Parts: sequence; structure tokens; C-alpha cells
Amino acid sequence: MAKTTVQFIILFVILVLVQVIFSKIMLFNVATPIIFIYLLLRLPIGLSLNAVFTIAFFSGLSIDVFNDTQGMNALACLLIAAIRTKVFYAFVTHDDESSAIIPSCKSIGTGTYLKYAGTLMLIYCFLIFFIQAFTFQNVLLTIARIFCSFALSLMLIYGIDSLVNTRREKR
Amino acid sequence: MNNLLQFLVKHIPWFVFIIYVIISCVLLFSNNPFQQSVYLSSANGISATVYEGYSGVSSYFGLKSVNEDLQARNTALELEVAQLKKAIHNYQLQIPDTSGILARSGRNFSYVVANVISNSVAQPANFITIDRGSDDGIVPEMGVVGHNGVVGIVNVVGKHSARIISLINPYTRLSCKVKKNSKFGTLIWNGEDYRYATLTELPRDGRYAKGDSVVTSGYSSLFPEDIMVGVIVGEDKAMSSNFMAMKVKLSTDFSQLKNVSALNNKMRVELKALETKDNNPSGTKKEEKK
Repeated sequence: MAKTTVQFIILFVILVLVQVIFSKIMLFNVATPIIFIYLLLRLPIGLSLNAVFTIAFFSGLSIDVFNDTQGMNALACLLIAAIRTKVFYAFVTHDDESSAIIPSCKSIGTGTYLKYAGTLMLIYCFLIFFIQAFTFQNVLLTIARIFCSFALSLMLIYGIDSLVNTRREKR
Repeated sequence: MNNLLQFLVKHIPWFVFIIYVIISCVLLFSNNPFQQSVYLSSANGISATVYEGYSGVSSYFGLKSVNEDLQARNTALELEVAQLKKAIHNYQLQIPDTSGILARSGRNFSYVVANVISNSVAQPANFITIDRGSDDGIVPEMGVVGHNGVVGIVNVVGKHSARIISLINPYTRLSCKVKKNSKFGTLIWNGEDYRYATLTELPRDGRYAKGDSVVTSGYSSLFPEDIMVGVIVGEDKAMSSNFMAMKVKLSTDFSQLKNVSALNNKMRVELKALETKDNNPSGTKKEEKK
């Protein structure tokens, strides 16, 4: 348990720092890589909701502080945290063991994991870009940003997931 | 009562959720960037440290183009100096006392040079963080310029860092004029492309052509007169109504900003006191009596 917590904290720091740099990027004016969501995706399904909400709020807030976005990421993260379990059980059957699962490609299978991560990622991109744009002046641009960022981020998250899991296997 | 307690205990996580949502909504909708706390903006100690480390590495990547830019600017300035020297020489032949010509513009301003440690161009509201703060004499509402022109306005100041509201932020409204005919308007940014902004509220009787320079008007205490802002590239038809609106290509390349100077108007306190007095009728009377 302690080992998992330490690993999680290290992952948190690394992902937030990388995200801070990534947030400044917008490829072709449409795609921003969003990777710190991986933290929320990776929390054990059985973890108490209090803890999940707290982690979600503070990870979102830390990104906000760095990017001067004032509560935007925090709000989107909270909403993701709230629907996370529901989305998970939409793709994985509900049984006694499932609450101990840490969602990853290895534990629930690549296809299922991508569906789970993809759904949450899409919702997150949707929230973030519509909160950002707030008015519907440039609907087309906003929609393009949502889908391009979604695709880019999902690829990166798949990559991070395989990285994190191999490292753990070697130990 | 027991049922109520049970209900509350069962749903504690959702109360936590609602509290967090309320906090983030308050942050999100208390939207005035001029009144934010230092701790929740990028001017706080931790983010400044992280950004300094990051910019220490990344500042090398753009050096070549920055150098080219400086070189070009240097040449332009050298030419200007040569021309001015010639002009002064001519004036000296005509009138013996030239002190008035030299000291007119920029006399009241001192400046603090700073490095940009964080910058964004892709957000709908962009901010810049610099590595100088209150200890170096930065105060809120100082104008900031780069070597190519206006950059933004300081708003949150930490001890060793400060956040600037970039020119490419919808909150920025800069009083500008077209250099050729001194018609003035307000420069705003519509959130689409970081290279272009719109100069609105231009009077219709003026003639504006592609390539006309847009400079600061000097009506605010933030910037001296005639600092370069950009070049007109055409009419912005969507924004034109009773007044003309012109699309302006900004002379500052915000994607490659490295060094900036914060301008300190020595007269600012005095001007501000004067401005507040004007709004106050009793104050005006006192002035008149004198």
C-alpha cells in the first residue's frame, strides 16, 4: 500500500510538471496534449470517493495555478472523478474482485482500457474546451480542438500506461 | 432524525464533491484578472521556480531567431540614429537651442529589464510570467514592451516574479493611434490568432491603408507615445459598425518572447491623483480656488 502511494505521488509530480509544459503547446492550433488525467484514470476503482474527489480537485488546481486558468481544470477533473466508476462498470462486469482493480491495459485488457480512457478523455476535452471558449462563437474551431486534443492525448496516455506498467514488472 | 443522519453519512462524498465544485466555480467565475491573489496565479514562488528552470533550458532554442530579430532591430535603430543626428545637425544650424526636441518623448519613463519565464499563445486568455517582482521595483499596472513593441500590462506581482496580461488577452484594451494621421482607437484581441488583433473605434473620416503603422497613443499613463504596436493588414468587416475596425498584425511575436522591459512612469502617482480628483467635484473646486 505504502509503495503504491509513493509511486502515485512520484507519478503525480512528474505528470503535473510535464503537463505544465504540454499546456503551452497547441499543435497546428488545434491539438493540446492532456496527460495528467492519467492520474485519475489510474486510481483504484475501490478507492473512497472522498479521496478521489480530493485528488481530482488538487491535481486540477495545480494545473490551473501554473496556467492561470483559475479553476477550469479543477472543475473538469471533479466531473471526471464523479463519473469515473460509472464509466468503468459500463465496460467491465461488476463482481467482487473488480473493486480492487487499478485500471490499466494489463489489468482489464487493451481494448477495454482504451474504451474506458477514451470515454473519459473525450468528456474531459469536451468540458475543458467549452469552459474555455464559453461562448459559441467559434464552434467549428472548438470542435476541431476537442477531437484533435482527444486523439493526441489518448495516444499519449496509451504510451504512458505501457511505460508505467513495464517499469513495475521489472521491479 | 436517525434516518437523516444515516442519509448524511451515506452521502458525505457527494457533499465533498459539491464543496469542491463550488470552490472551482467561484475561482472560475470571479473572472476579473486584475484582482487575483498572487498564490493562485503563475506569479507565486513555486510556479516561478519551475518556470525559471524550464525557461533556462528552452530559452536556448529560440536564440537564433531572437538574434536575427535583434540584428534587424539594431540596424533599423542605427539608421534612425544617423537620420536623427542629421536632423539635429540641421536644426542646430537653424535654432541654437534644441533641448526641447530631444527631451520630449519617453522622458518620464524608467524601465526594468526582465526575462519571460512562462508564456502562452494558445489559450483564449493569455498571460506571461516574468522573473522580476516587487523586489525589483515592479508594481501592478506597469506597461511592458519587448524589443519589437508593446507586450502587455503587469497585473499580479509576487516577490520575485510577476504576471503580465498579454496583449493577446480579451481583457486588454490598449489605446492606440494610426501613426500617419493620428486617428486613435482601441486595440482588442478576439481570441483567434495570436498574430493579429483588431483596432476598433476608429473614426470613419480617416483614410487607412494596408501597411500603416499602429502605435500607442500616449493617452494612458502606462505607455509613452509612439511605441510600435503593429501594422494594418486590412479592414475587419465583422467588427466595423459606426466606427471602423482594422485588422492589425502585431509587431511583437508572442510565440518567441524572451526579454521584455517593464516601463515605470515616474509621473504615474501624480497623474492618478489628478485623474481621481477630476471625478470628484469638491476636488475640482479646490483646484479652481488655487
